[in-house]
Amino acid sequence: MALSLTINGEVFASRRDPMTPLIDVLREDLALTGAKAVCREGFCGACMVLIDGRPAVSCLTPIALAEGRDIRTIEGLGRDGEPTPLQQALEAQDVVQCGMCFPGMVVTLTAFLAAEPGATRDEIKRALVGNICRCTGYERIIDAALVCAAGARD
Amino acid sequence: MRNARFVCMPRSVEEAVAAVVEGGANPLAGATWILRAPLRGEALAEGYAVLGGAEDLCAVEIGEAGIRIGAAVTHAALSVALVGVEGFVGLAQAASEAANPAVREVATVGGNLCAAGFAASDLAPALIAAGAEVEIHSAAGVERQSVEAFLAARATRPPGWLMTRIFAPCSARLSAHARLPLRQAGDYPVAILSLSIERRADGAIASARVAVGSVEPVARRWPGLEQALEGQTLDPDAAAEWARARLGDFEGRDGVEAPGWYRTQVLPGLARAAFRSLRAQV
Repeated sequence: MALSLTINGEVFASRRDPMTPLIDVLREDLALTGAKAVCREGFCGACMVLIDGRPAVSCLTPIALAEGRDIRTIEGLGRDGEPTPLQQALEAQDVVQCGMCFPGMVVTLTAFLAAEPGATRDEIKRALVGNICRCTGYERIIDAALVCAAGARD
Repeated sequence: MRNARFVCMPRSVEEAVAAVVEGGANPLAGATWILRAPLRGEALAEGYAVLGGAEDLCAVEIGEAGIRIGAAVTHAALSVALVGVEGFVGLAQAASEAANPAVREVATVGGNLCAAGFAASDLAPALIAAGAEVEIHSAAGVERQSVEAFLAARATRPPGWLMTRIFAPCSARLSAHARLPLRQAGDYPVAILSLSIERRADGAIASARVAVGSVEPVARRWPGLEQALEGQTLDPDAAAEWARARLGDFEGRDGVEAPGWYRTQVLPGLARAAFRSLRAQV
């Protein structure tokens, strides 16, 4: 039996084992390679996607639990080819380093800043507890998130 | 191609119990432990029953006598439900600090208690300290037992059972939860100390329930420290010394993240931190 997955607004049918991690379907079947399979333990956050608007580690999400829900990957955040205000702030601040953790960071911050547009530096840090950067680029990411938050408040 | 593995979606507690007890399905809640089975060299089961569709399993009910927590309630939902609920500060801390935000959104109370190979559960010692009990359905019927008794026997329990609810009594006890992750947050703690106390009219400790997690393979109470605390005041430094004098009560488990001796050696510091939290609540 096929499972129906709604990813970035499009519906896909998957005949994979229902316990297949969502990250594998995204990367191997749909070529949505923004999310990365790094630790596969839910700790690094590189595989983060939004499910029904909430950050979810796709390495630990079996597709059986994602069926019928709204899945959004980094590729689906912008609209009409335009990056989101957060993505624009990150680019303007020249934040991107190696890019491995980065899509997950953007996904986490997208949901967090939508819920907490007036977030402080400490609150942003707490929101990023599940996103690990080996380039140690946290501070500039947080700087950009604060710029974005300030822009949302103005 | 046909999916060889089956996944069913029960819509009620009764359907979930039938799927697991009679249908041979394994319970599946947040999946954060089960989906890591291959990393542990374990095979996935042939069939799963997704518990999140059963409304009763996802509810937290707070009454005068106590709280009733559905086994499929997530850490995040529990921490929200316990905001401002007297007597459950420690349990709320455990629910809000475990793992990381995305894992807390899906990892459940029942999953945390039922994962026999997971020693670093935050909720296990917090629920022991809260005096909680679990409700288990099996072919033999429905039973209720303390969280500590359940944890001690869970690895040898024959298959075909489902944890449905957790009950924790309301009381005027103060509680706290102290944990030591290797990073400031976001990973599993190498040691955890949860406690709850009842105070006498003069402010001294009438009774204490202390639970230690992550140090040994299974969380359990610390009777020696509980007895030492009776009649004492809320003195963090003294609590640390009483804990230090009883470290021989534990045999720490060795792991890649920390050796066993380290897990026991940090317990006095956790006792001190827990007592500071208690004192801040007075």
